[in-house]
Amino acid sequence: MDHGHAETERAAHDEQELTLGEKLYLREAIKGMAIVARHFWKNLFGFRDNTPEVLDRGGTGVNLVTTLNYPEEQKPYPPGYRGMHRLVPRVDGRPRCVACYMCATACPAQCIYIEAGEYDDQAIEKFPIRFEIDELRCIVCGFCVEACPKDAIRMDTGTHAPAVLSRPLAVFDKEALLSGAPVELSSDSMTYRAPLQTVSPMGKNEGGKKMGGH
Amino acid sequence: MDAIQTPQSRLASRDIPTAAPVKRTVGNWLGWQIGGWAAFFAFLLGLSGVLLGVVRLLAGFDEKKNVAGGLWESVGNILILMLVFVMVLATLLTMADRKWSALMQDRVGPNRARLPGIDSPLAGLPHIIADVLKMLFKEDFLSAGAAKQKLLFNLGPLLAFGPAFCLFAIIPMSPEVFFFGKRISLQVLHLDWGILYVFALASIGVFGTALAGWSSDNKFALLGGLRASAQMVSYEVTLGLTLVGAFIAYGTVRLDLMSELQGATEAAMRMGGADPSLLFGWLPPWGIFMQPLACIFFLVAAMAEIKRTPFDTPEGESEIIGYYLEYSGLKSGLFLIAEYVETVVVAGIVTAIFLGGWHLPWIEPALCSALDNLWHGNGAALLAIFQVFGFIVKLIFVIWVMFLARWALPRFRYDQVMHLGWKMLLPASLANVIISAAAYLAGGHEMLAIVGLVEIVAFCGYVAFWGKTPAAETPDAHGAHGAADPHAAPAAH
Repeated sequence: MDHGHAETERAAHDEQELTLGEKLYLREAIKGMAIVARHFWKNLFGFRDNTPEVLDRGGTGVNLVTTLNYPEEQKPYPPGYRGMHRLVPRVDGRPRCVACYMCATACPAQCIYIEAGEYDDQAIEKFPIRFEIDELRCIVCGFCVEACPKDAIRMDTGTHAPAVLSRPLAVFDKEALLSGAPVELSSDSMTYRAPLQTVSPMGKNEGGKKMGGH
Repeated sequence: MDAIQTPQSRLASRDIPTAAPVKRTVGNWLGWQIGGWAAFFAFLLGLSGVLLGVVRLLAGFDEKKNVAGGLWESVGNILILMLVFVMVLATLLTMADRKWSALMQDRVGPNRARLPGIDSPLAGLPHIIADVLKMLFKEDFLSAGAAKQKLLFNLGPLLAFGPAFCLFAIIPMSPEVFFFGKRISLQVLHLDWGILYVFALASIGVFGTALAGWSSDNKFALLGGLRASAQMVSYEVTLGLTLVGAFIAYGTVRLDLMSELQGATEAAMRMGGADPSLLFGWLPPWGIFMQPLACIFFLVAAMAEIKRTPFDTPEGESEIIGYYLEYSGLKSGLFLIAEYVETVVVAGIVTAIFLGGWHLPWIEPALCSALDNLWHGNGAALLAIFQVFGFIVKLIFVIWVMFLARWALPRFRYDQVMHLGWKMLLPASLANVIISAAAYLAGGHEMLAIVGLVEIVAFCGYVAFWGKTPAAETPDAHGAHGAADPHAAPAAH
């Protein structure tokens, strides 16, 4: 059957006489109203599962409203989401960062600024005195995370960079970035001369002389 | 973890922050459902008592204690029914329309406005205050064209709102009852020409829309005004004819008498026991059972008469903005609130004529004697509170059905509106008059009820089985099928 013929068939079907039942329209109207009423009662009496993780709100006794009331209810980002950066601390609170500048070099937006300092501890020689990320310049490409040899910078905070009211507030310094769970890799122990102490207030163990003439 | 891992494996590892814990709120939800519904019905019951109580207080100034309809009672009714009940209900309906439509369309609806100090959306009720304030403080703009006919331009909203507002005066919300030492009823006007008052005043509403459309000096507004006047005049005929069957059944045009005839009489209630007014011993003598088709026709015609969707061609927000296009501020608000007031009035008329008015089915005499035992001598008065409650619940239900139609059905085209009015509803309601008259002559109320029940069964059968649309065919299947037998689909049924 050629295409044109099928088209005429379709048109003939569309324009065919309505049955009397359809012409009266009352049945169609009542059917439509019944559907709307079903939704109404289901949503009025149904239990609203307001956990953000629930995307498909089907099932008996559950209402059909899929809207999240945004500021009060937030859906978490998916696990692979490249969120705001964080500097990963060691178990004692010091940053894992060894100020190698590889993230700053890899960054295409040049939003990372690092000033290195030196530990007395010979095993880990360097640490960042200043580590700042301008979240307004960041293009969230994740190259810094890829470049880091020490797993010291991550984008796993599960949140986006917060809105700020002035540009300087979007520059996050080391203290602001040093958050989240500490990470200890078994290969780390080779780099420590003495066993690490338990978690202590930040900065206590960062004693040592700075590099450069600050 | 032995070595530094790839980003992918690290994401799968456990030191990624876990998702927020799952909240279970079923118990909370159950509490809100039960508490909410209990509070809602308790509020309506309390409201019924307050309505009756305030009217009784004001009626106390009247001299004749055994006759209803004194001056002060009317004043009380005007204050409490028309200025408070109708206006508050219409205002709440603006919100209910938005919230109910949200529920019907799987949305949340407006819930952002907050009262100061209360961190709860309160089901969107603060939006009413916001809406009213917006209407009050918006600029009352007068376009250059409208300024040429300022008087008529200002008269438009008044003529649209005034008649709609006055219509509620004849809705009987309670029986005439001896309420704690004074005979009262919740009805402003006890007119002998009852329902004719509705037809007369509803026609006046046409002037409002037509004047608004013309004096706006705007082509779209004029189109809306013309459509409104044609539509309202057309449906006036059907509106009257659908009710003729009800006049035959009740033998009166008084709304209060019609309501009274749909249940136990006052004397029967005092007797207690079974309800003697039941037809065949089980069927409440409600209008909807004696005149089911008239009920549907009247509801359809009334929705066209008050220009509600799906008959809102005069407004038609998406094509012509409508007859109130040039209005702003409070005048625009008057048009909007008039529509909701009209909805309340139509629901009130349907309740009074077809849904038994204030009557509670089956239980009235038994409930009356039970309440009489509870508080001796005041059974009828206490029952009246439940009857007003029943009326309000029925009223809200009819309003809900009208909103249901509004959100389920798309707007009719203008020619379809005319076709429906003149070529379908008008002959059908004429046929209904003839059938009802014949049935009434043949066997009184019983025969009317039998015919009505047959109509209901036939209607349900029509909705459920007859004239079903054939199952949707895929284009491919239809192509193959249609080549062999082009009439296969129509022949299937």
